[in-house]
Amino acid sequence: MAAARKRILKEYTECSNDTPPGMKINFDEQNMTEWEILMDGPEQSVYSGGHFKLRLTFPNEYPFKPPVVSFKTKIYHPNVSNDDKGSMCLGMLRPDAWKPPNKVISVLHLVRTLLIEPNVDDAIEASIASEFKDNKKGFEKTAKEWVKQYAK
Amino acid sequence: MDPPLQQPAQQPQTTARDMVFCHECENEWYRDEHGLSCPECHSDFTEIIEENHDPRVAAMADSDDDGPPPLGAFHHHHPWDAPDPDEDDINQLHWSTGPNTFAVQGVIFRDNLSQRRADPHDHDLHNPVLGTFATMLQNLVGGLGQQPPSEQPPSEQPSGSPSPGQGPNDRFSGTLPGGNRFTYQRTVRLHGPDGTHRGAHLDPSGDELNGLVEHLLGAAMGGPPGHTHPPSGQPGQPPGQPGQFPGQPQINPLAAIFAQLMNPGMAAPGDFVYSQEALDRIISQLMEQNTSNAPGPATPEAIGSLPKKIITIEDLGPDGRAECSICMDEVTVGEEVAQLPCHHWFHQPCVAMWLGEHDTCPHCRKGIMDHDKAGESANSSTNTADASSGSNGAPATPSRQQMPGTFGAGTEENPFIVPETPEQSRLHAQQDQRSSSERQPSPHSVHSDGDASGGGLGDRIRRGLFGQPR
Repeated sequence: MAAARKRILKEYTECSNDTPPGMKINFDEQNMTEWEILMDGPEQSVYSGGHFKLRLTFPNEYPFKPPVVSFKTKIYHPNVSNDDKGSMCLGMLRPDAWKPPNKVISVLHLVRTLLIEPNVDDAIEASIASEFKDNKKGFEKTAKEWVKQYAK
Repeated sequence: MDPPLQQPAQQPQTTARDMVFCHECENEWYRDEHGLSCPECHSDFTEIIEENHDPRVAAMADSDDDGPPPLGAFHHHHPWDAPDPDEDDINQLHWSTGPNTFAVQGVIFRDNLSQRRADPHDHDLHNPVLGTFATMLQNLVGGLGQQPPSEQPPSEQPSGSPSPGQGPNDRFSGTLPGGNRFTYQRTVRLHGPDGTHRGAHLDPSGDELNGLVEHLLGAAMGGPPGHTHPPSGQPGQPPGQPGQFPGQPQINPLAAIFAQLMNPGMAAPGDFVYSQEALDRIISQLMEQNTSNAPGPATPEAIGSLPKKIITIEDLGPDGRAECSICMDEVTVGEEVAQLPCHHWFHQPCVAMWLGEHDTCPHCRKGIMDHDKAGESANSSTNTADASSGSNGAPATPSRQQMPGTFGAGTEENPFIVPETPEQSRLHAQQDQRSSSERQPSPHSVHSDGDASGGGLGDRIRRGLFGQPR
């Protein structure tokens, strides 16, 4: 645990020196295993104009277990669970795909990339994914409506 | 006024109403109230309770041992007492009778290691447990095996017709070498002679299931079609061949065994389910299998024996710095780190924590155990084939995955020991004389040599358990 905190602190330093565009990390030294991240919807995405709050939770076993990413702001996205958890779990965030050298900064980049280009092949919300594939207009419309409704 | 009048009126009505019994949850209800489907669990596996045909009795047989011994002819008949070298390992055989059933309980113990020590020339493949099991299956299927009369289960004794509603409720449980247990239970009800047919006949229940299992067994045993029974008819229906029906035990409980045996092996013919529970079990097995495909932990010995390495200036990055990518602490020239076979290095305590859970390099996922013997959890098929053809070499590429639901490990060199049918022994003997290239790949090559019967039951079970050789 002490080692985890040490590494989290180092990673925060790294992230704050090189924060991905449109992101802001609220870091609490008293509770450094929970990061609050404020993120602007990327310009080139349907989420543009939205402000999303995310939580990044580090398990006690970090870095041997992956951090957990959850959207506190509701978002219409194939890779974010449409429930009160808003969890995003794919790619390197999967427990069986995670490896210790992965860094939080790349997790943040992954989140941003996914807002620009959802990964429909690894979707948690199958219906949103199929809408994204088959009816992109409809998907974009709903996504934008949700941005207006929840992410202003 | 009313209550006393109602009381007698209700009594005859109760006896006239059909009572239905649920085999799934043992619920009981009136047919005219809830119909034939169970109101509790919505199962269709229900049965109308009749006077001399009470399914509850079978369900309660365990606790109902103190009834009077109903069967003079069978009460002292212990068919399993007959000397049989194949069954001398079945101990603790309990024979108990209830008012309408009898029950046999037995425990099978086999110690593989001692067996192998006692008979070092024996084929490694020869596992007595499954052999016994196969014998047992043959007994139960009746007509398919050629057992001496002394081995026949009581239901197959043509003499001494049982009294109405009698039947055995058999239960076997066994402990297999790996500590795994299997249980086997069979319930059979016999009906006494009546006007339409003499002798005993058996309840039909789970007919669809029987059809499936019979096909399965028919294929597995290679028995002629005459021995696989079509889904039998209603209780009143006379059996087709008078000589055959005593050999028609209910084999639907075998489905449980087959589901257990076959499903872990996936593509085997056991991929059928007949209840939500079975489906859940299969799904959870599949899920376990998925996780078991991920590398398990490295052994503490392997971790402890990782070579040490002193950081030199070449190990530093272009900026003259380097860090352990697990703890992200900087390492300095002269510091000692642990190096993996893939040449990635980490702080020893850091990488030890990771390897203790996953035998992969944190960077490139290459395992550290590849160069060790790693035999204890090596995959079955190559190994078994090697062992059976007499070349006890360690497999070239030990795979660390292990099928769930297997009967556990044998020895280090020969982790899975499965029985060999006589046909296979013969084929193995032939094979041993052939060139090594021919006999090499897998037990499956034996199969291609086999006749149209599709191999013996042992082979079937083995494929069910361990999957198709890759």
